[in-house]
Amino acid sequence: MDCHDKSQIGKESGKSGDESFPRAALAGNPNVGKSVIFGLLTGKYVTVSNYPGTSVEVTRGTAKLPGGNMTLLDTPGVNSFTPMSEDERVTRDILLKERFDAIVQVGDAKNLKRVLMLTVQLAEMGNPFFLVLNMGDEAASRGITIDYEKLAGVFGVEVVPAIATQKKGIDRISKAIRNPMKSAFSLRYNEHIERGIASMEPLLPESGISKRSLALMLLAGDNSLVSWLNSEVGLDVVKKIELIRQEVDDHFSESLGYVISHERVRAVEGVVRQVMTTETVRKTSLAVRLGSWSMHPVWGLPILLAVLYAMFVVVGQFGAGTLVDFFEETIFGNYVNPWSEKIVKALIPIPILQELIVGEYGLITMAITYAIAIVLPITGAFFIFFGALEDSGYLPRLAIMMDKIFRVMGLNGKAVLPMILGLGCDTMATMTARILDTKKERIIVTLLLALGVPCSAQIGVILGMLAKVSLAGTLIWGGTVIGVMLLVGFLAAKVLPGGESDFLLEIPPLRVPKITNLLVKTLGRIEWYLKEAVPLFILGTFVLFVADKIKLLEVIERVTAPIVVSFMGLPAKAAESFLIGFLRRDYGAAGLFKLAEAGMMDGVQIVVSLITVTLFVPCIANFFMIAKERGVKMAIAMSAFIFPVAFLVGGLANGILRGFGVTL
Amino acid sequence: MSEIHIDEILEAVWTEMEEGRDAVEGVLDIAEVEEKHEALELVKKAGFLVETGGRLKLTPEGERRARLIIRRHRLAERLFSEVLQLETHHIESNACTFEHLLSPEVTESVCTFLSHPPTCPHGKPIPRGECCEKLKPHQKPLVMRLSDLAPGDYGRIVFITPKNHARLDRLGSMGIMPDSVIKLHQKRPSYVIEIGETTLAIDSEISNEIFVRKV
Repeated sequence: MDCHDKSQIGKESGKSGDESFPRAALAGNPNVGKSVIFGLLTGKYVTVSNYPGTSVEVTRGTAKLPGGNMTLLDTPGVNSFTPMSEDERVTRDILLKERFDAIVQVGDAKNLKRVLMLTVQLAEMGNPFFLVLNMGDEAASRGITIDYEKLAGVFGVEVVPAIATQKKGIDRISKAIRNPMKSAFSLRYNEHIERGIASMEPLLPESGISKRSLALMLLAGDNSLVSWLNSEVGLDVVKKIELIRQEVDDHFSESLGYVISHERVRAVEGVVRQVMTTETVRKTSLAVRLGSWSMHPVWGLPILLAVLYAMFVVVGQFGAGTLVDFFEETIFGNYVNPWSEKIVKALIPIPILQELIVGEYGLITMAITYAIAIVLPITGAFFIFFGALEDSGYLPRLAIMMDKIFRVMGLNGKAVLPMILGLGCDTMATMTARILDTKKERIIVTLLLALGVPCSAQIGVILGMLAKVSLAGTLIWGGTVIGVMLLVGFLAAKVLPGGESDFLLEIPPLRVPKITNLLVKTLGRIEWYLKEAVPLFILGTFVLFVADKIKLLEVIERVTAPIVVSFMGLPAKAAESFLIGFLRRDYGAAGLFKLAEAGMMDGVQIVVSLITVTLFVPCIANFFMIAKERGVKMAIAMSAFIFPVAFLVGGLANGILRGFGVTL
Repeated sequence: MSEIHIDEILEAVWTEMEEGRDAVEGVLDIAEVEEKHEALELVKKAGFLVETGGRLKLTPEGERRARLIIRRHRLAERLFSEVLQLETHHIESNACTFEHLLSPEVTESVCTFLSHPPTCPHGKPIPRGECCEKLKPHQKPLVMRLSDLAPGDYGRIVFITPKNHARLDRLGSMGIMPDSVIKLHQKRPSYVIEIGETTLAIDSEISNEIFVRKV
């Protein structure tokens, strides 16, 4: 959930990279600490979490190092430079299409074998690089010792041990980045493959990586290269290359990609045996045991419930209760609003302008009050809680618990990650859908995020309102929203073409969240929220103000009355909340919050209105993100589907609840 | 009339007997030979079968031979369905060919390789062979699916039979390859395995495609 990176969507943030500086890129396996090191070298914060796939885009920054500045790139993690998903492709394409003076390979010291699989490929690419072995503390606690000197000797590049979260090794990295070396390590493959490489090399174009490396990727059957190659050398040469590939392929019963990585594994295992020793560590730490319990078929459930309950306490009771009371009643009720009213009335003699600022639909009395006094405290509480959850490594374990449920919707446990991230910010989560392998899954996740996953700002307001209704009301709301998502997901899975992908997800170790990272991350997200949401709140309020003045609001309320009042059984004024809910549904929810506070809705009405607004498209930004990631047509089609469904479900819920005479 | 005809008749008799039937018509219905009556006569003449009043009965020698044919057929089915993952119609036709070809030694090897499976894919019993009787209750099967390991067990990967190449490449990039040792951490709610210091959640489908030798 890299909410505050929103400004960089669509392009890599190019603003802080000066092209005249030497250039370096961070690359490595997922979840090994590339973003931490990037942050330490550039002073620029990139969201750091404890699950693979936190970074799905490239971030650029300037590292101020002894001896001059450098442009540094942080890339999404990969397990192979022959990409298997969109985010992996981003990294390979960067290495292919750009030139770097240095590549910094970051690896997890306790997973040396997987690190060196990439090292072998980097050596083949022929770029100057060096290796950082991060998380030395975790490796040591598992009884792993690595002979760094010997490893450096094998590959002919510098190997720097590091513990990035404690800033250990950073000095050496900032020196090593000046003197990277081309690796002397060269793996000789099976003779058929070598012959294939030799005949392919003359046909290949110049690029950021060596022809040998490019040939190996092509032999491995990397189709993502074809369109690039087509534009570089033309269709005829591409056909020749494919012929060579097929000729080599005929010599093996297994796929060439597999044969190549098998040879790499064998070579890497030889190196690992030379440089790494493992002592058996007998005691299992509490974190390891807790990590096991949290994905246990039986114990996992009480842990999940405990996490949900903790969220309810932190966000619903503390955030929406204590904090909102304090901000709304004390700060805004007693000070900000009365004072600004006095000041405005004293300074501005024109009544209509007074009303614009402090009236019923006033910028301060409505927009700022909603944004700062109601939504911000709740969202802030959520950001802290959610950040802790992200950094603990619990989220991938949740994916294990929910895999079966997600299969109903044509997805698997891997899709749990973007969906849960949607609880933070649906817009960013829409982008994270890239970690999924098939287009079908990305579409389903995007649709479900837009349809039913309430984002932090909204979930807070909703929990705050539901806490005052009843547990039954909360369950009806949750059950309805989840039911609609399951149904829509199920149908979408049936209707959409395309297959399901494999569930294969790396589970990071459980870690104690670092307070500093938690604070920086939360502050970054709050800043994002203020920048992103407040202007829309102000715009929405202004629209309401104008609509009210020209009596349009009355018309809208009259026109929508058959739906809002008759079908959904809500007060006519709820139409206002739905109207601003089109901009941001948390803003709509905040309007409903006020209605409920004013005692204008009973329990059933609150639940019905919340169901409806939860099923709205999250916000304008989310709409644009869908358009960017999935195309404008898709964004419009999804919206055209979602809004009617929201009102339909709300109306049905009303009919059923009233029909059975339920009171909440 | 060849040996194959004898085999086919005996196979049909065995199959009918399993269902509790012994009528001549039933056997002739399912026997996959031409000139069924001549074939039946031949089998009777060879001393594998006796007919009394339209009902058939295997002689001890006939039963021994039928048992081996059925065993070869059903082991072949299992091999094709699980290891090679052939489609159903291929399984049947190929198993019918294989049952006549497999030598006793190869049959034993296949049976051991499949860890002496008790039933064929259709759930019918596979007659036990000599190799199965040698198998003591404690003896480890040679190769088993990852999904047949008990949680907490370690297995060395012997081979992987993925549905597609992409899956194999992906597994390979995570270090899941023949010769790697993996630990099965749990089976529910999802399969979780450990390889080195990496913990991975995987599809149950994938765990069916990874064959390991328990270590």
